[in-house]
Amino acid sequence: MLSVQNLTKVYPNGTQALKEVSFDVQDGEFLVVIGLSGSGKSTLLRCINRLIDPTSGKIFWDDLDITAASPSELRHIRRHIGMVFQQFNLVKRSSVMTNVLSGRLGYANPWLSLLGIWPAEEKQRAIHALERVGIADKAQSRADALSGGQQQRVGIARALMQEPKIILADEPVASLDPVLSHSILQYLEQLNKDGMTVICSLHFLDLVHRYATRVIALKDGIKVFEGLPKEIDRAKFKEIYGEDAQEVRATSLEAPA
Amino acid sequence: MKDLSHLKKLVRNSLLFALLLVVFVYSYRVTGIDVARLVRDAPKARNIVLDFLHPDLFRRDVEIVTLDMAFPIPCGSAPEAEPAASGPRLATSVPCAAARERFALEGFELAPNSTIEIRWRLPDGRLWTINRVQTDADGYFQVEVEARPIAATADGVPSLIQADALVPVGPYKPSQTFDDVMANMLVTIFMALMATTIATLVAAPLSFLAASNVTKRGCIGTVVYYGMRSVFNILRSYEPLVMAVVFAFWLGFGPFAGTLAMTVVTIASLGKLFSESIESIDPGPIEALQATGANRIQTVWYAVVPQIVPDFISFIVYHWDINVRISTIIGFVGGGGIGYYLKERIDMLAYRQAATAIWAIVIVVMALDFLSAEVRKRLT
Amino acid sequence: MNDKAVRRSPVLAGGLSLIPGLGQMYAGQRYRGGAILIATLLIAGVVVWYGRPGWSFAPIGIYLWNIWDAFSLARGRARSAFLPLLLGLVVAYGIGWQMIGIDLSAASGERAMAILRPMLRPDLFERRYELNRMWTPITVPCPTGDAPPAPPASRQDGEKRAFAMPDCAGVLETVIVSVSGMWPNAETEIWWETNIGDDKPLGGNENAPLIVETDETGSLTTTIRVPSTVLIAQPDPTLALTHRIYFDQRELTSGFQLSRNGRFVVQGMVESITMALMATFLSALLAIPISFLAARNLMSSSPITIVVYVIVRTILNITRSIEALIIAIVFVVITGLGPFAGLMALVVHSVAALAKLYSEVIEGIDPGPIEAIRATGARWTQIVRYGVIPQIVPPFTAFTIYRWDINVRMSTIVGFVGGGGIGFYLVQWIQINQMGAVGAAFLAIAVVVVTLDYFSAKLRERLV
Repeated sequence: MLSVQNLTKVYPNGTQALKEVSFDVQDGEFLVVIGLSGSGKSTLLRCINRLIDPTSGKIFWDDLDITAASPSELRHIRRHIGMVFQQFNLVKRSSVMTNVLSGRLGYANPWLSLLGIWPAEEKQRAIHALERVGIADKAQSRADALSGGQQQRVGIARALMQEPKIILADEPVASLDPVLSHSILQYLEQLNKDGMTVICSLHFLDLVHRYATRVIALKDGIKVFEGLPKEIDRAKFKEIYGEDAQEVRATSLEAPA
Repeated sequence: MKDLSHLKKLVRNSLLFALLLVVFVYSYRVTGIDVARLVRDAPKARNIVLDFLHPDLFRRDVEIVTLDMAFPIPCGSAPEAEPAASGPRLATSVPCAAARERFALEGFELAPNSTIEIRWRLPDGRLWTINRVQTDADGYFQVEVEARPIAATADGVPSLIQADALVPVGPYKPSQTFDDVMANMLVTIFMALMATTIATLVAAPLSFLAASNVTKRGCIGTVVYYGMRSVFNILRSYEPLVMAVVFAFWLGFGPFAGTLAMTVVTIASLGKLFSESIESIDPGPIEALQATGANRIQTVWYAVVPQIVPDFISFIVYHWDINVRISTIIGFVGGGGIGYYLKERIDMLAYRQAATAIWAIVIVVMALDFLSAEVRKRLT
Repeated sequence: MNDKAVRRSPVLAGGLSLIPGLGQMYAGQRYRGGAILIATLLIAGVVVWYGRPGWSFAPIGIYLWNIWDAFSLARGRARSAFLPLLLGLVVAYGIGWQMIGIDLSAASGERAMAILRPMLRPDLFERRYELNRMWTPITVPCPTGDAPPAPPASRQDGEKRAFAMPDCAGVLETVIVSVSGMWPNAETEIWWETNIGDDKPLGGNENAPLIVETDETGSLTTTIRVPSTVLIAQPDPTLALTHRIYFDQRELTSGFQLSRNGRFVVQGMVESITMALMATFLSALLAIPISFLAARNLMSSSPITIVVYVIVRTILNITRSIEALIIAIVFVVITGLGPFAGLMALVVHSVAALAKLYSEVIEGIDPGPIEAIRATGARWTQIVRYGVIPQIVPPFTAFTIYRWDINVRMSTIVGFVGGGGIGFYLVQWIQINQMGAVGAAFLAIAVVVVTLDYFSAKLRERLV
C-alpha cells in the first residue's frame, strides 16, 4: 500500500504545486489522477519516486518512508517503481535495445554497465519485454526511427525491465492520437491485471471511465475529489476543470486489441 | 552464425583501432611534438603576452621640467633644501655633505623608462654633469653621487642638484598606433566589403550554371553543370591566403592583391551555396504561377526570386563576416590592411603596437560576428 | 506603411532633424531615427577621415534627405530610403575602391600568363631514370703555412675513376676534372657539392647545369671554375676543407617517379595533414572539459559558476576571433620554426572553436531521457553513460570531423609564418619563382582538400 500524507511542494520560484495532498493507493489499483495542466499532477507523480523532493509531507510504501530514504535506499526504491512519460523520454540516438536495457540499470553491475556490457539473460529479458509490447522486431532500430506509439511502447518495455511493483504514468497518451491512446492504456491495463499498481495521470474523461479503478482530481495543487470513476459526472467535471471546460471525448472507436 | 558476425565486428574494430593508432603515432612524430620544449620555452612568450595585455592606445604630451634642490657642501655653509613630499621630486640620503663624501640620490614620479641627466649647477651658474640614469617603470631612480669639491658652496650660495624630468602633461590622447590601426582596420573592412560584393556579382549568375535543376539538361548542360561544380569545388579548397601569395606575385604587394584573392575564393564558396539554394527551390509556386498564365520573366520574378533572395542575403552576410576575418591576415602575404601592419610590427618586435592591432581585430571580428548572426537570424 | 505614425508639427520635426534622426524620433519612429543617426555619423565619419572633401556630397545629401524625411514623416508620410541608401553605397564602394587601390592596369595579362603557364605544368613527377654517379674530392682553398698539403683529388670506385687537377684550388680558379669508366657517349652533368652539402651548378654563369658528353670509352675531361659562392657559409674562408665534384649520368627508363620538388610537396602535404589531425585530436581533448564550463544550462546554478561561465565564454570568443596564423607567430617565437608551432596555433584556435560548438550541444541536451533513467534507480555514473553520452557523442564527433576539415585548410597556410606544412615550401618557391613547384603544391592542396571534404561530409551525414 502506498500512502501519501499531507504532501506539499513549493518550487524555489514560489509556485505552490501541491498543498497538503493525502491519499492511499491499495496494491493492484489503477489510480487515475486528473486535473488541468499545471494542477500538480506531474509534480505529484514525481514526488512518489522523488524525482522531485517534496517540501513537506510523507510518502510511505508499506512501512518504508520514501521521503526519508538515503540516496542508496532511494535507488533501491526507484528500481521497483517504473515510470512512463508523456514525451517518452527515450535516448533518440540509441537503439531500442539500449533504451530498454537502461531500465535495468538499477540492478546491473555498475562497472560492466558503464562499459555497455550486458549479460545474455538481461538481453533476453529485454527481448521478452519488447515482445510483451509487440515490437521485438524493432530491437536494433534507432529509437527516433519509431513512430510515437511505438516509442511509448519502448517506454513501457523500459519500465517493465525494472520488474516494478508500481508504475507511474505521467500523461502517457497526451502526445498520441486517440487510437494509439487506447492501445497504450490497454498495455497498462494488462500490467495492472498482472498485479502491478498503476498510478496514471490522464486528460480525457472517457479514458478515465474506461480504465480507472479509482480517481483523484487535483485543482491548483489541492485534492478536490477522490472516488470511483462513475462518480465523475458532468457537474463534477465542470467543478474540476472549470466552467468553460468542454468534455472532449478521446474517441468513440474501440482500439484494436 | 551470430558469433561469427560478432567476431567479424571485433576484428574489424580492432584493425580500425590499430590503423588509427599507427596514424596517430606517425603524426606525432611528423609534427615533432615537444611538450618539454613548450614548457621550457614558455617564458619566451612572457613579454609577448604581457605586451598583448598592454596595447599601445594612449599617449600624453610630455614637458621638460627641471627639478633642482640645494645641496650645501660642506654642511652648514648654506641653508638646506626642504624636501618636497609629492610630485616629481629629488631626494638625497643626507641633507648636506662634506666634500668627497658619497651619498644616495633618488628621483620620484619622473617619466617612466626614460634617460635622465643629473648635474650640478655650480654657484657661478656653470653646469657640471654628474651622471645619466635610467628610470624604472614607476619613474623612480636611485644613484650614488659624490660631493665634488668643485660643487662647494661659494659666498653662501650652495650648488644645486638638477635633473631634467620629462613630465606627462595634458589629457590622454589616442596614440599614433591607435590612429594607424583604425586606418588599417577600415581598409581591412573595405577589402572584405569589396571582395564580397564583386564575388556576389560574379557568383550569382554563375551559380545558375551549377544548379542541377536549371542547367543539367541535355549533353551540353550536363557538361556545363559538372564543369562549373568542379571549378567551384577546386577553387573553394584553397585558403584565400594561398591564393593571395600568387596574386601578390602577380599584382605586387597591396590591398588589391589580397582583395582579388579573397574574391576568387568567395566566388567559389558563394557560387556553391547559391547553386544549392537554387536547387532546393520549391517547384510548387512556379507551377502555380504558370497555371495562372504568367510568362517566364513573371514566373522568375514572382516565384523564384522571393524564394532565393533571403538565402542569398544570408550567405552574403555570412561571407562578409568570414572575409573580414580573412582580410585581417591576408596582408601577411598579400599586403594591405591590418594584417600587413600587424606583420610589420611583429617583425619590428613592436609587440605593444601589434597588440593594439590584435585587439582591434578581436573587437571588429566579434562585433561583425554578432551582427551577421543577428541579420541571419532575422532572415531565416 | 506608417499610418500609425503620430501626427506632429512638421516644421518642428524638420527643425529637430538638424540633429539627424531626432525629428523622426519625435514623429514616433524611434528605430528609424536611431538608424538615421548612426548611418549619418558613420558615413560622415568615414568621409572626414578619408579627407577628400569631394566625397562630402554624400553625407550632406543624406543630411538634407533626413530633414525632408522628418518633415514629411510628421505629416504622416515616410520618404523612401532609396536615396540615402544609394548615397551610402556610393560612398562605401567609391572610397573602398580608391582605398584598396584597385588598379586594373596593374593586372597585366602577360605577367599573369608568365605565372600561370608554368603552374599548369606542375613539377610533381619526372621520368624515372637510372643514375650513374661518380665523384672526386677536392680541397678548397689550398692549405697555407704549416698546414699539411691537400690530399690527392682523385677517387676510384670499381671501374670508375675520377680526379681533379690540381688537388686544391681557390675560389674562381680553374681546375681540370676528368672521369673515366662511365657510360660511353652519354650526357654527364658535372656539379659541385660544398663541404656542408649545398649543391652548386657549374655551367653558364654559375646558374645553369654544366653538361658534357663522354667519349666512346666512357671518359671525359674538361675544365671547371670553382664557384664563387662555395665559401659563403664558412666562418673562416682560409681554412682548407674538402668539397666534392660530382659526375652524374642519367638514362631514362620506363615509368615516372616523384621529382625533387614533388617529394617536397608530398612531405609538406603529409606534414599539413598530420598537423591538422594531431591539432584536431588534441583540441578535442582539451575542448571537452572546457565546453562543460561554457554550457549555460550546467553553469547557471550559482553566482560563482555564472562568473566562470562568463569568463570562459569571453576567453573563447576572443581566442576564436584571432586567426590561427596570428597565433602561429607567437608559437614560432616560443618553439621555433616547424610543424610543432603550427600545430600549437591550430590547437589554440580549434579549442576555442570546438568548445563553443560542444557547449551548444550540451545546452541542447534533452533532459527527458536523463529523468527517465534517473527514475529507474540508476547511479549518477550510469545516468551520464546512458542518458548524456549517447546524446552528445554523435554531434561531438561530427563537429570534430568538421574541424579537422577546416584544420587541413588552415594547416596549408600556417607555414607562411614558419609553422610547417606545405605553406612553408609554397612561399619559398614563390620567392625563387619556381612556379612549376607552386603548381604542384596547388594541385596537391586541391586533391587533398576536395577528397577530405567529400569523405568528411559523408561521414557527418551518417552521424547526424
